[in-house]
Amino acid sequence: MEIQNGITVTIRINGQQFTDVIAPEESLLEFLRTRALVTDVKCGCNKGDCGTCTLILEGQPVKSCLVLAAQANHKEVWTVKGLGADPLMQALQESFAAHGAIQCGFCTPGMLVAARSLLSDCPQPDRAAIKEALAGNLCRCTGYKKIVDAVAAVAASQASARDSRGRC
Amino acid sequence: MSSFAYAVPETKDEALALLNELGSGARVVAGCTNVLPGIRSKKIAACTLVDISKLAELKGIEIRGETVFIGSLTTINELLHSDLVASHGQVLWQVGRCFADPLTRNRATIGGNLANASPAADGVVPLLALEARVIVASLAAEREIPAAEFFTGPGRSVLQPNELIVGVSFATTTAMRSAFIKFGLRKAMAISLASLGLVVGMNGDLVEHARVGLGALGPTPARARQTEDYLTGKPLTPEVVAGAQEIIRTEVNPISDVRASREYRVHLAGVLLKRALEAALA
Repeated sequence: MEIQNGITVTIRINGQQFTDVIAPEESLLEFLRTRALVTDVKCGCNKGDCGTCTLILEGQPVKSCLVLAAQANHKEVWTVKGLGADPLMQALQESFAAHGAIQCGFCTPGMLVAARSLLSDCPQPDRAAIKEALAGNLCRCTGYKKIVDAVAAVAASQASARDSRGRC
Repeated sequence: MSSFAYAVPETKDEALALLNELGSGARVVAGCTNVLPGIRSKKIAACTLVDISKLAELKGIEIRGETVFIGSLTTINELLHSDLVASHGQVLWQVGRCFADPLTRNRATIGGNLANASPAADGVVPLLALEARVIVASLAAEREIPAAEFFTGPGRSVLQPNELIVGVSFATTTAMRSAFIKFGLRKAMAISLASLGLVVGMNGDLVEHARVGLGALGPTPARARQTEDYLTGKPLTPEVVAGAQEIIRTEVNPISDVRASREYRVHLAGVLLKRALEAALA
């Protein structure tokens, strides 16, 4: 084991490998936006409050400003753009548009990633479960009702495909 | 060039050797939910980030003899999904749903919540009520510290620079009733104005023992021992509950800050105790 100042990091982002030499304190969010140029992940508060930098790291939704890029070395990351072909993500995107769940759009990438994680673990959440799952994502425009409506509509349309995966 | 360095040990011994060598020049990192904001606000500077996230010895939740062991790298989300925690350490399971937010719970670890030593640390309040022990290792030895003796002040603990929190353990039991109540300004992502964790064992109508953990009601998370003593052996009549509320209000020692005044927190201590007793016995 060595103590390093410049760390060579390889991260697989949306199926594509990115390698660069980074500073120890660099966040995963910085790596994505400034090195991999994956800018659909937004930088809002940069201290773990707003959730717009939410992405999937090793299968779990996390706030990427709270992850060291070095800790994502050799790991897999998915952002909203990389999930564009996913049917569940597409259904959510269409539902957000149909329900007016987007105004300025800044929170939307994080909202979508968090909502998709919820629905893939728990296909039929009630409104309380949706609100709880999105509690780490702030929106300053729509007031949340429309966002919860949009997620609930997708959950309802999935009712026929309901199964017992995961826990709610 | 960056004032930080980074090392990622593969084993506990490797990590401990490194901490021994670096002393206070090292900063242990795992979930990073406190450390990265600390770096950004310049509260943390010029150190070697020792990333312990690969250490298998610090992972897992299991029964060890008469105790439940929880590795320090266990995330809050893992606590929430553990049947062992739900049955033997229900109060710790109960904290899961009001800890930060679901995204942060995927990263924040129980060891980090201890090491950060915030007076308002939600995750450690249940550990106090469970009379948990904190297992701490250095190269030379391993020691166990009762959770109530772990904290020495705001942001301070007995943890030495050459030591690592390996995990926590508490006695197995499913006979107790418990409740965790957090009072924050929002339902999620709130720093507690006050929090209270309660574990109570009943013998018929009488309290056999009660253990109360307090958050944000003093310079460190702490036990409400006078309140516990008062409740022991008594039936939980409205008069006894009112008596316990009076005692807990004299026992806590909170500060006034941006979130609440001292007076308000003192009042909250009594309210939360009553609510916790009601919830635990419901």
